[in-house]
Amino acid sequence: MSISKIFIVAKKEMMGIIKTKSQMLVGLFFALWFSVMTAPVIKTVEESVVFDTYNNLMFYFVLMLGIFTAFIFSPKVFFNEKREGNIETLLCTPLSLRQIWSGKVVGVTIVAYLIALLAAVLMTIIANIFSTSMLLPSPAIFLHIVLVVPAFIAVAVGLLGFGHLLLGMRENQIINISIFIVIFFALSLTKNVIGVGFAVSWIEVGVLLMVAVLLLALISYLTRYLSKERIVTTIA
Amino acid sequence: MIEVQNVTKKFNGKTILNGINFHVHKGEVFGFLGPNGAGKTTTLRIILGLLDPTSGEAHVFREYLGSNNELRRKVGILLENDGLYDGLSAYKNLDYYAQLYNVPDREEKIKNLLDFAGLTKRKGDKVGTFSKGMKRKLGLARAMIHDPDVLLLDEPSSGLDPEAQRMVRDLILHLAKEKRTIFLNSHDLDEVQKICSKIAILHRGTMQAYDRVENLRNKFSNPVFEITLTDAANAKNAFDLLQSLDYVSDCKLYGLGITATLKEENYSNILNELVGNGIKVEEAKKLAKSLEDVYLDVVKGE
Repeated sequence: MSISKIFIVAKKEMMGIIKTKSQMLVGLFFALWFSVMTAPVIKTVEESVVFDTYNNLMFYFVLMLGIFTAFIFSPKVFFNEKREGNIETLLCTPLSLRQIWSGKVVGVTIVAYLIALLAAVLMTIIANIFSTSMLLPSPAIFLHIVLVVPAFIAVAVGLLGFGHLLLGMRENQIINISIFIVIFFALSLTKNVIGVGFAVSWIEVGVLLMVAVLLLALISYLTRYLSKERIVTTIA
Repeated sequence: MIEVQNVTKKFNGKTILNGINFHVHKGEVFGFLGPNGAGKTTTLRIILGLLDPTSGEAHVFREYLGSNNELRRKVGILLENDGLYDGLSAYKNLDYYAQLYNVPDREEKIKNLLDFAGLTKRKGDKVGTFSKGMKRKLGLARAMIHDPDVLLLDEPSSGLDPEAQRMVRDLILHLAKEKRTIFLNSHDLDEVQKICSKIAILHRGTMQAYDRVENLRNKFSNPVFEITLTDAANAKNAFDLLQSLDYVSDCKLYGLGITATLKEENYSNILNELVGNGIKVEEAKKLAKSLEDVYLDVVKGE
């Protein structure tokens, strides 16, 4: 599989997302809004558990926000391209279907990950405002943000992209709305799901990383079931 | 170059294409005609490897395009959708495809194609601001970005105003002069007549005709003879006489003129009959059948 071809597609998709102001504003707004709404929980907990609470927040929130942002960006890259019919032309270029899919996944993942990182920074700044001690991610959380978060974003984008290419327009619209509600609800629950007295360790991060890698492999395998015929016949 | 052998395509048990056969040779401009829903786009998609035939084979350069990524470098396509991104400029659109096809000296190539499409002054503008005609021309430029040997074009001038249609037609003729093989999907008979050397007519998924345009005219069209008489009385007598001849299948009188459709080419006999009966003929000529006549004959005669 030619990596350079994948990056040509990825670069085009990245630039496409970044230049679509409405989409970027939505992504940035949610990063800011959820950070502002969630981080102040720090001031409500006892000093002894502030560090663990902050790390738990980072563990859950950055991951969920990354997936949510990926969900916002994916339809433009997969669904719109299919709806507008450009995917047919792309399928007639020297790229394989898997290269096209991979390029799009990489492109969306990079932008969604950058926004998740921005949210992590914002969260840290706001948490420090409400804390008497300096708060920074633990090494395990740092690894989580550097490896697990982008891996899960890629899993989410890959799965969404697979669905968009595989399913018809109506099914996709129904699935999009359902996923939006689920992820939005999950993000809103951030404050409530962070259990006090529980500290994220290397084990949780390692398990999640393994799960992400397995899911990526599974989705990559699933793309074998995508066919040009399936895509073309579900355009309209 | 393009070989379609006994291709049948069924969707949900419904036959869309039924045993299609044709060859397009190198340097040929081939017109694939048919009314909407005849199966033209399905055939094109099968050739491109976007759809798999239920039975039969479709090859380009003797290979199946769908599974041969490298072979697709030799083929340029313009489908119903122009394959352009509204959010990108004309230049960026061409640049994206040039990168995908790994085009050498792509800056120079893009410059030439923008000139060719008459869009140099708009190269920095987003394609979303272009008219349909401009998009179509840019789409054609995109299809040629990698200098393909074979071009497959689906209704290239569909929805364009007459001026833009002419420009697209000139572009295709220019490409034909460069000995590129062109497959043209169209229901625009005038366009096909002016551009194509060979055509196939598809109707309800079945090939109704496949030959050179001149051969089809001869094969499917009954000869038509037009005469102009000197006065109304002559015209009436000539009309009555022609109607009585068994080798005249149809006859129409309008003013001093008559058009007679013959069952077989028998022009000299007609003139002898008219003159022999004392009818004064001012002018007589054979009418050339247009492709439209052939097309209607073929489709109606199915």
